[in-house]
This record gives sequence, C-alpha cells and structure tokens, in this order.
Amino acid sequence: MRNKLLWLGFSLILPVLIILLWVYVTHNSILPELLLPRPGKVMEMFWKQITVGTLKNDIRVSLIRILKGYALAAVVGISLGVIMGMSRIAERFFTLTFTSIRQIPMMAWVPLLIMWFGIGEESKVAVIFMAAYFPILINTLSGIRRTDPKLIEVGRMYNLSKMKLFTKIYLPSALPNIFVGLKLGLGISWMAVVGAEMIAASSGIGFRLNDARALMQFPIVFSGMLAIAITGVLMDWILTFISRVVTPWDKNKS
Amino acid sequence: MGDELVVQNLNKTFYVDGKPLSVLEGINLTVSDGEFVAIVGHSGCGKSTLLKIIAGLESPDADGVVTLHGREIAKPGPERGMIFQEHRLMPWLTLEKNITIGLDDKTRREKMELASEYLRLVKLEGFEKAYPAQLSGGMSQRAAIARALVTGPEMLLLDEPFGALDALTKIEMQKEIIKIREEKKTTMLMVTHDIEEAVFLADRIVVLSNRPGRVRDIVTIALSDKRNRGAADFAWYKKKVYDYFFEPEEDAGPEFAI
Ligand SMILES: Nc1ncnc2c1ncn2[C@@H]1O[C@H](COP(=O)(O)OP(=O)(O)OP(=O)(O)O)[C@@H](O)[C@H]1O
Ligand SMILES: [Mg+2]
Repeated sequence: MRNKLLWLGFSLILPVLIILLWVYVTHNSILPELLLPRPGKVMEMFWKQITVGTLKNDIRVSLIRILKGYALAAVVGISLGVIMGMSRIAERFFTLTFTSIRQIPMMAWVPLLIMWFGIGEESKVAVIFMAAYFPILINTLSGIRRTDPKLIEVGRMYNLSKMKLFTKIYLPSALPNIFVGLKLGLGISWMAVVGAEMIAASSGIGFRLNDARALMQFPIVFSGMLAIAITGVLMDWILTFISRVVTPWDKNKS
Repeated sequence: MGDELVVQNLNKTFYVDGKPLSVLEGINLTVSDGEFVAIVGHSGCGKSTLLKIIAGLESPDADGVVTLHGREIAKPGPERGMIFQEHRLMPWLTLEKNITIGLDDKTRREKMELASEYLRLVKLEGFEKAYPAQLSGGMSQRAAIARALVTGPEMLLLDEPFGALDALTKIEMQKEIIKIREEKKTTMLMVTHDIEEAVFLADRIVVLSNRPGRVRDIVTIALSDKRNRGAADFAWYKKKVYDYFFEPEEDAGPEFAI
C-alpha cells in the first residue's frame, strides 16, 4: 500500500515539473500571454468550460462517437484476429488485403468517408473504426499465434473440441495481447475522432479546438487539449483495470 | 492379466524441410497390465516420440502397429494419461479447473468432488482455488499427476516427469508414484534420464540406442529389496544400465553378480 503511494508520487514528479516550468515561463513574460496563457487562467477556463460551458457536451459527443466506432472495431478486430490466428487458410486469405489497406494513413480516409457518409455521425464512427480495428486485429492474431503448443498438446490429449480448445486455451492465452491491442486501438480512436472533427464536424472536442483557434480563444484551446489528455488517461486506466479483472493470473503485469 | 500394450515393428520418420529423419526403427515392446517400464536413452533418440505415439498424439509410419488390449491406437483416449516434463497447467485456470479440464461429461458438482479427491491423493488438499503461479515446481507436478489420473486411466505415460525437480523433491515424488501405483494399479511407462530413478521404480528398463532409436536391450530388475537404494544389487543394476551408455572402465569390475 505504502509502496503504491510512493510510486504514484513518483509518477507525478514530471507533470509537476512541467507545470512549474509553465508557471515560471508565463509569470516572467518569457512568452507572450496570448500564445501561452497562464496555467491559472487555463484551469479557470477549464473549470468554467466543464461546469457551465460547452466543453462537457463536446467531450460527451466525442466519447459517444468513440464508443460506437471502437466497439465495432473491437468486435471486428478480435473476431478476425481469432479466425486468422486459428486458421492458416484464413490468414493467407486476408493478410495481403489488410496489409494493403493498412498502408493508407487514417486521415486519408476522411475525404472518402465524408463522401460516403456525409459529415454526420456515421463518417466519424467510420474513421474511428478504420483507425482502431487494425492494431486490435494484429495483436489478437499474434496472441492466438503465440499460444504455447505444449498447452495445446494437453488439450489434444483430452480430445477437447475446437470450441473448448478456443475457450480454455487459445483465448485466455491471447487475452493479455488482446488488451494490448485494445489499448492501442483506444488511443488511436481518440486521435482519429479529434482529427476527423477538426476537418469536418459541427460538434465534438476536435471541432471546439478548431473553432476556438479561429476565434483566437487560446485558453479554450488549452483547456480542450487538457480535457483530451485527461479523458484519454482515464480511458486507459479503465481498460487497465478491466484487463486486471479478467486476467487475474497475469501477475507480471505492471 | 494380459499384454496390455503391444508395440510391433514401429518406425517413425519425421520430414524436416522435405528430408526424412528416421527417429525410431523397428521398436518391439510389450507391457503387461500393472507393469512399470522405464525407457532410457540418449537425448534425441526418440523417447518422447515413442511416448507420444502411444499417447496417440503422433502417428507411426504406416507399417508399425500399436495396440492397447487388442485395439489399435489412433488418437488420445481417457484410458491413457500423460505427464510431461513441464507441468503444463493452464496458468489461467485454478487447480480445480485445470485438473478437470478433460472431464466433459460430468456435472460441475461431480467435477469439484473429483478435483478434491485427486488433489488429496497428491497431497494438495485445500489448493482447489489456487492458480499454478502460486505453486512450487513440485506442487505443480503433483497437480499435473492429479490431472492425468482424474480420468481414471489404466496406463500412465510419463515423459521425464521429475527431470526439472530438485533431488529431494524428486525422491519424494518417486515415492508418491509408487504409492499411486499400489493404490490404482496403473500401468506405468516412464521416460527418464535418471538411471537410479529407473532402477528404483521400474520392473523392466528398456535401453534405446542413439537415433534412430532401436531397442538395445531390456533389463529386468529383480531386486531383493526394492526400496533400498544402498543395496549391493541396486548398485549392480545401476552400473549395468550405465554401461550401455559409457564404456566400462578397465579396473572397475562388477561389484555384484548374480
Ligand atoms: N514434430 C517433429 N518434427 C520434426 N522432427 C522432430 C519432431 N519431433 C521430434 N523430432 C526430432 O526427433 C528426434 C527425437 O525427438 P524426441 O523428442 O523423441 O527425443 P527424446 O529422446 O525425447 O530426447 P530428449 O531426451 O532430449 O527429450 C529429435 O532429433 C527431434 O529433433
Ligand atoms: Mg524427450
């Protein structure tokens, strides 16, 4: 317990130093206030935006988009990863196609997806999906692939059905890897949604950032970025927590 | 009583990059009900492969036949249990779930009862809910033994089961195996690198040649006192098997002769 607190304190050192530097730079007017607002001012704006302003709603809108696109990406990525991991034929069949699609940067999808889906919700969800499914798929695939053949031999020794082999051996063995993919995918979802909203949207956190920039409201830009960082970290923590709960045997996880 | 296991003219060839690699050649072996047979041989001579063929995990070349009570072995079955050098427990399953992994036709309750019964047998009572990571090497191997026994096999195939354990734990496990054998009358076929272990446990020791593995000799162990590792005839058998692998030294004549 005490150790945990110490570690928490330790991981706070760098953020605190950065904020101190920020205070120092702004209070000694090394950079003009207009380009880098004082931390106090940003915090004030952040709080105002969260409580009464639009930021709360912007985050909610973006989060709902992420949840939809990410859930879709998780389902498709894990299913395809499992199928490709357990069948050489399926892997052969899909790999070239996915590797080719993968070469297209996710932002390059935005124009096409807007042409197809308009600038409404669907195009954002589609961008998130395109960005997130691949890391989930790849990590699931490698997790299934890395299942210890010695354990599979034990399963064969008991004539386990393909389904049982999957639920008792392949899947639990791949779970830690699947969570690596899910975390990567979540981070990328966040980037994708903000990016897509900056290009074409009338709501969401990405839209708000762009809007505030156009109106020269720099404290809002900063508090928006702060909100993105905090939400991202929180979501990562939630996933870490879930992965701890579903893989209790995986003790060597930090 | 009868010949439980019959291995007849068994050959096994692996193909590595299209090139044939003969691993076992002309193996003939019969094992009776309740017998303990040890298999010794140099590393890579095909001992594990032989055991896997008997387990049904590998298939022999077309001409060989392996039968168990007259029926040909084609795949694994509940009448054969296997214990590997590593415990091979699923890290994500509790001991209870690990041990009952092969019991498909039982209810949850029956599984729990069987798990407790067999954990008690291997002196792991109370560890039903423990994960393998919480066990020592010896305890894990005990759990693996419980898993192999829970389906009620007539025959246990043991592939260097105690090779990774320290000397003291190993001796303890050997005693456990003897106890289980007395209690369950299980036929045992054990691959080992440890000649003393083979003499201590086995009724017969099969000595395999270097790859491709052939049966060089089968030594029948007839000890006056099976449990006394210090007895003169115990040492004599040890040396006899030992000499198959290393040339006997000139001056060291047999300490004991029948
Ligand atoms: N699936 C396989 N494919 C190709 N070659 C194999 C395969 N399994 C085993 N071999 C080869 O067959 C030979 C015998 O292997 P095996 O594992 O039976 O030896 P072993 O006698 O058990 O050795 P050790 O005492 O080291 O365990 C080895 O040369 C090994 O490389
Ligand atoms: Mg071996």
